Amino acid sequence: MNPGQQIWMIAKLELGRVFFSRRSFWVYLLAIFPTVIFLGHALDFSLKAKQWGGDRKTSAEALNQVQTGMTDEKVLQLLGKPINDSIRKRRIRRDQDPAAEKQPEVRRFMMYFDGKRRVDLRFEDGKLVSRNMRLLMNFEEDRKVYAGMFQFFYLRLGIFFGCLGIFINLFRGEMLDRSLHFWFLAPVKREVLLLGKYLAGLIAAALIFGTGALFSFLAMVLPQDASEVQTFWQTIGLEHAFWYVAAAMLGCVGYGSIFLAAGLLLKNPIIPAIVMLLWEGINGFLPGVLQKLSVLHYLQSLCPVPAPLPNDMPAVMKMLLAPAAPSSVPLAVLGLLALTVLVLLAAMQAARRLEINYGTE
Amino acid sequence: MAVYRRGYQRYTEGLTSHATRMMVMPRFTWEALLSQKFVLILLVVSMFWPLLCAGYIYLANHSELWQGLGGGFKKYFSINGDFFAIFMKAQSVYALILASVAGPGLIAPDLANNALPLYFSRPLTRGDYILSRMIVLLGLLSLVTIVPGMLLFAMQAGIAGGDWFWKHWYLGAAIFVGFTLYIVTVSLVAMTSSAYVKWRVVAGALVLAFFFLLAGAAEMVNSVFRVEWASTFNPGYALGAVWAEMLDIEIPDDKPGAFECAVFLIALSGGLLALLARKLRAVEVVK
Repeated sequence: MNPGQQIWMIAKLELGRVFFSRRSFWVYLLAIFPTVIFLGHALDFSLKAKQWGGDRKTSAEALNQVQTGMTDEKVLQLLGKPINDSIRKRRIRRDQDPAAEKQPEVRRFMMYFDGKRRVDLRFEDGKLVSRNMRLLMNFEEDRKVYAGMFQFFYLRLGIFFGCLGIFINLFRGEMLDRSLHFWFLAPVKREVLLLGKYLAGLIAAALIFGTGALFSFLAMVLPQDASEVQTFWQTIGLEHAFWYVAAAMLGCVGYGSIFLAAGLLLKNPIIPAIVMLLWEGINGFLPGVLQKLSVLHYLQSLCPVPAPLPNDMPAVMKMLLAPAAPSSVPLAVLGLLALTVLVLLAAMQAARRLEINYGTE
Repeated sequence: MAVYRRGYQRYTEGLTSHATRMMVMPRFTWEALLSQKFVLILLVVSMFWPLLCAGYIYLANHSELWQGLGGGFKKYFSINGDFFAIFMKAQSVYALILASVAGPGLIAPDLANNALPLYFSRPLTRGDYILSRMIVLLGLLSLVTIVPGMLLFAMQAGIAGGDWFWKHWYLGAAIFVGFTLYIVTVSLVAMTSSAYVKWRVVAGALVLAFFFLLAGAAEMVNSVFRVEWASTFNPGYALGAVWAEMLDIEIPDDKPGAFECAVFLIALSGGLLALLARKLRAVEVVK
């Protein structure tokens, strides 16, 4: 049997364990979670449209007449009863000027719906200070939300922890189960064994997270307005879907190799996982050169829509944030693959020197 | 005489005090934990931020040092709830990392080696066992949370004087109670992971994943549904909201308030305790 056949044979043996082990179920949950949330969003849209429509709807013309500075009484006269109406008194803080206690500030929030748009009105001391209008189902906005979800949740957390679970299990798990020596007794080179196990983990992770990315993308697109969806598929839709799936799969390639090597090189692979989680977390704040020393930079370069910044990010953080210019697509793919090869070579070295001592585990 | 022929009788001599018995496990575990290089490194690194904060307190209380910079700088040098909230958030990251390293080894080995009957055959209840395991984390995590926090508060009170202390005593109470709440939550997560996951490595990853994934999932629900209520289910946010209430700093109107967050934290802790109690039994009937 040549090494290629041996690698495939090991991968086939490992695949069942990776796909169907009880320990892998939470990985499926991670992959499917965004799809569930976007399906929930579609359901929420249809329920709200039904609940807020009919008698509770306000005409768009009347809503357009509302101007900042109007009193809450005047707005109620003009628009009628809102769908939501809440009043909050500002709490006087201990450090605040005592004079402020004499005139407590009252904030009032009203919400109207005109059949398509949701309008949030905010009053302070009886005067309208802000009017926020947005479509209940907004494809453009949803695509940005998806981009944010994909880059902040799916890549940084979902695929990260999913790969941590799958790839660390391949060697470290067998050591803890005291079954690695069976593999080492087989007449195969350690490098071949490592590649076979890596291939099994990669196939499983790429399939699980690639499918998860595709399903969540479809769950975001399909409930939108039919004409918009058709135009989207005819123009950039397929390309976007492809790059999201590719980024998810390449994430598994990069993170997978690192966690496989960590499981071999270190007794406690949680330490490199923590370091990597922090490194990837502060990635945007690092100088450009250092940003390129992370898996996330290359994955983000492949994403078709840049992720929006979180709304509640403090101004100082926004000032410090300096994302490096995205790498070109060939460079991003090659960069990731080169990193993977280097890490796998280091892992092969470690596998060659590995001596089993179950007693210390 | 052969061992099986030997007769045994109940130990009738005096017992050590309850508190002494409870402290046996923490004593040995602390020794083992402090011999780990990574734990020591983390403890040292976690002192940098409190040192910086101490420098800041010194500067804030010595206006003559920055007089040349103009009066506008005064607002940047005030020691209030916001200052301590930032300090607490930074230190809580170190505490979480420490818990993910130290926590998984607390219960998992006892379960894996069937050691629970040995503990429970001694004058130690399940509650005592859980509490003594929690004391291990309480002691370790308070080194990076409560201790530096209270030292900073004492430093500020010492420099600023009695007036400041009487006006701001609630900040000290908030640091103590807030961090205690944090440690209890993190400890329960770490201990439950340790009890349910046989492997220390996986249990450690689970502690991190619990906090990071719940935070990510809550933010995802918020952004997809355009709501803010999901933040309640982010343990980091929930603890921050409770701290904010105690430190008397404002929470944005549209975000969940401290009450909802406190209810979630109580429910979470109760659920984790129930899971722990279910797992920790002296005997197990396998059908």
